[in-house]
Amino acid sequence: MIRFENVGLRYGLGPEVLRDVDFHLVRGSFHFLTGPSGAGKTSLLRLLLMSLRPSRGLIHLFGQNCADLPSPERADLRRRIGIVFQDFRLLDHLTTWENVALPLRVFGKSEASYSEDVTDLLKWVGLGDRMTAYPEVLSGGEKQRAAIARAVIGKPELLLADEPTGNVDPNMANRLLRLFIELNRLGTSVIIATHDFQLMDQCDAPRMVLNEGHLEVR
Amino acid sequence: MKDILKLDKIKGYWAETVADSPWVAVIRALVRREARAMSAPIVQPASVAGRALTVVIAIMCFLACLTSGAVYMVNQSANDWFADIASEVTVQVIPVDAAEFEKKVTLVSLFLAKQAGIVKVSPLSSEESGELLKPWLGDSNALSALPVPRLIAVEIDRSSLPDMSVVRRALESNFKGVTLDDHRRWQSELRTVTRSMVLGGFAVLVLVGAATVASIVSATKSAMASNREIIEVLHFVGARERFIAHEFEKHFLSIGVRAGLVGALGATLMFLLLPVVMRFLSSGGLAAAEFRQLVGTAVLDWPGYILFGAVVVVVASLCMLTSRYGVYRILKSHD
Repeated sequence: MIRFENVGLRYGLGPEVLRDVDFHLVRGSFHFLTGPSGAGKTSLLRLLLMSLRPSRGLIHLFGQNCADLPSPERADLRRRIGIVFQDFRLLDHLTTWENVALPLRVFGKSEASYSEDVTDLLKWVGLGDRMTAYPEVLSGGEKQRAAIARAVIGKPELLLADEPTGNVDPNMANRLLRLFIELNRLGTSVIIATHDFQLMDQCDAPRMVLNEGHLEVR
Repeated sequence: MKDILKLDKIKGYWAETVADSPWVAVIRALVRREARAMSAPIVQPASVAGRALTVVIAIMCFLACLTSGAVYMVNQSANDWFADIASEVTVQVIPVDAAEFEKKVTLVSLFLAKQAGIVKVSPLSSEESGELLKPWLGDSNALSALPVPRLIAVEIDRSSLPDMSVVRRALESNFKGVTLDDHRRWQSELRTVTRSMVLGGFAVLVLVGAATVASIVSATKSAMASNREIIEVLHFVGARERFIAHEFEKHFLSIGVRAGLVGALGATLMFLLLPVVMRFLSSGGLAAAEFRQLVGTAVLDWPGYILFGAVVVVVASLCMLTSRYGVYRILKSHD
């Protein structure tokens, strides 16, 4: 489903932050992406999300070479990917319900067609009573769950999560991990970028370790 | 059959383009309140940057409308002056022989009325001629003792202008002490003055236009900067560039139209009140009357008000285009 071949990335004329990255992920896999701070985890996630173009090498997503794709088709591929940001990125002027429904709205679906799904998902992630609340009144854990719900509402084939447990307590981190495992069981491929070893130890999943720009899958 | 299919395709393309236009969306929203969707708009409807933009647009649109209206009015007045002056010449009869003077004025008037291309001949009475001298000589009985020349106002047919040199030669050969003034020198000077005024007005209009463009582009860019996160989130959840641009175009076009209309309505109100102010100014004195003669009645006719509509369209389009450019610029850094 995802193939990186000899991928390198540099910002401007700076040094390469990712070097000769090679890996292949199959459909329905579950991986942790780890490494010290500044190792390039977020950059790798941005490459996966086609938010950056590699300086060299090839990236194949869902069987397509990303380099050749025009902008509308890149957007279509992005619809098959769910993303959970480290800083949540919920829109402050939308309620929790509206934030979660945003991807479906963007896909051009009618509100009537997804209204029930959004409500059910919010109940499933434990935000049934916070649907009309605005992000500014949500706790860190609630925001994180809302961000996860937004990432999965479009039934993505690949879920990317950048430090999803960085802002929550260990108990909430466990609950979120169980949520990701459940989503993976339902068929979504998951990549979680984290440096929380306690979290990784709770799940027997392969680890993609980034160190000084090089990637190693263990 | 193939051609018909092609035509349908073209019609379909245009129908889709028009239906997809942010202008159509904004006009629909203004004309009839559409059933609101349950969800809030994707672009934040009211923000500090948005409110600042609204104020800037309203003020700049007001100034642009005022300037364009004033330039239009000056231009119209200049054209009216030319039309008036070009359609009239003056014949002056000097009282060489006092006894035969009235008879001479009548004969000259009759002579002029017979000439081709002359529509109307209006000899001024001795009282009317005296009235013309009052501003300089005052209300005095001495006027009756002075040999005041008599003026004859001659209206000419603008569609078939008479040869004034032929009329002048005929007058001078038939009547002693009669001169014809076709206002050529006055026309030339007036043309120079009014052209300078109109050009000056255009220069001010260009400056106001440039200031309007610069401030609206700058304010829209600031408002766009505060929306960067929305653009990025939409991009990451799979929105196409066109969708994001369309959402922002609709939002900023709406701001532009509403704020522009406020500015244009303010300017309209000013121009509607202007004749009242002018009447108040010209309520007394010769100076006021001359002022009114110079600037006209200060009534802006309907093409002038249409200009205001054009200003609103330009300002709103500018807002919309700047927001589109802003969206693509932000998206370019992510693609």
